Amino acid sequence: MAERPSSKRAARPAGTAPAAPRAARPLALVYLLGWLVPGGGHLWLGRTVKGFVFLVMLPAMFVIGLALDGRLFPFTPGDPLVALASLANLGSGLPYFIARTLGFGAGRALAATYEFGNAFLITAGLLNALIIIDAHDIALGRK
Amino acid sequence: MNTTSHLLLMALFAGCVAVVGGVLLKDTPREQARTAAEIFGSLAGAALVLGWVLYFLPI
Repeated sequence: MAERPSSKRAARPAGTAPAAPRAARPLALVYLLGWLVPGGGHLWLGRTVKGFVFLVMLPAMFVIGLALDGRLFPFTPGDPLVALASLANLGSGLPYFIARTLGFGAGRALAATYEFGNAFLITAGLLNALIIIDAHDIALGRK
Repeated sequence: MNTTSHLLLMALFAGCVAVVGGVLLKDTPREQARTAAEIFGSLAGAALVLGWVLYFLPI
């Protein structure tokens, strides 16, 4: 059943708190926090439920990707597809740097799950980019 | 990870994307659940249909 426009506007999503004034949320910091910590931008902006869902789901996808023998691609400008995959991997933020530091993400191309692992790793980074864009809209008061 | 079931992994992938997509796109729990179900159904359904189409192609 469709809601009336007036009640839809007045209703606040469950688990969300009113965002602080925009001046207190520099956009650059929203982007940086949202990138480094998946869901961090939403948490900082008071969208706690969404933030926690992203905080759990994206690192989980990243870890599943690593467990499936996926690869964290190196940035190689000479190979455009690999370079794009590398940028997508980078979108995961801190999990990416932690995995790199600990030596994970070498990938095992002969593993039956290698492509699935790559799909999880790449998609986690790309979804985080979408989440940062959503945080941008929230910070600007569009949502 | 020990499992190599592509169907299970595909469902897991679709489930993860569906949850994030539903929460990202909608604001109320009911709408989020509905959107997540739609995304999951779309991804899993498309994968199954494409899988069967490719099965009959002589590649």
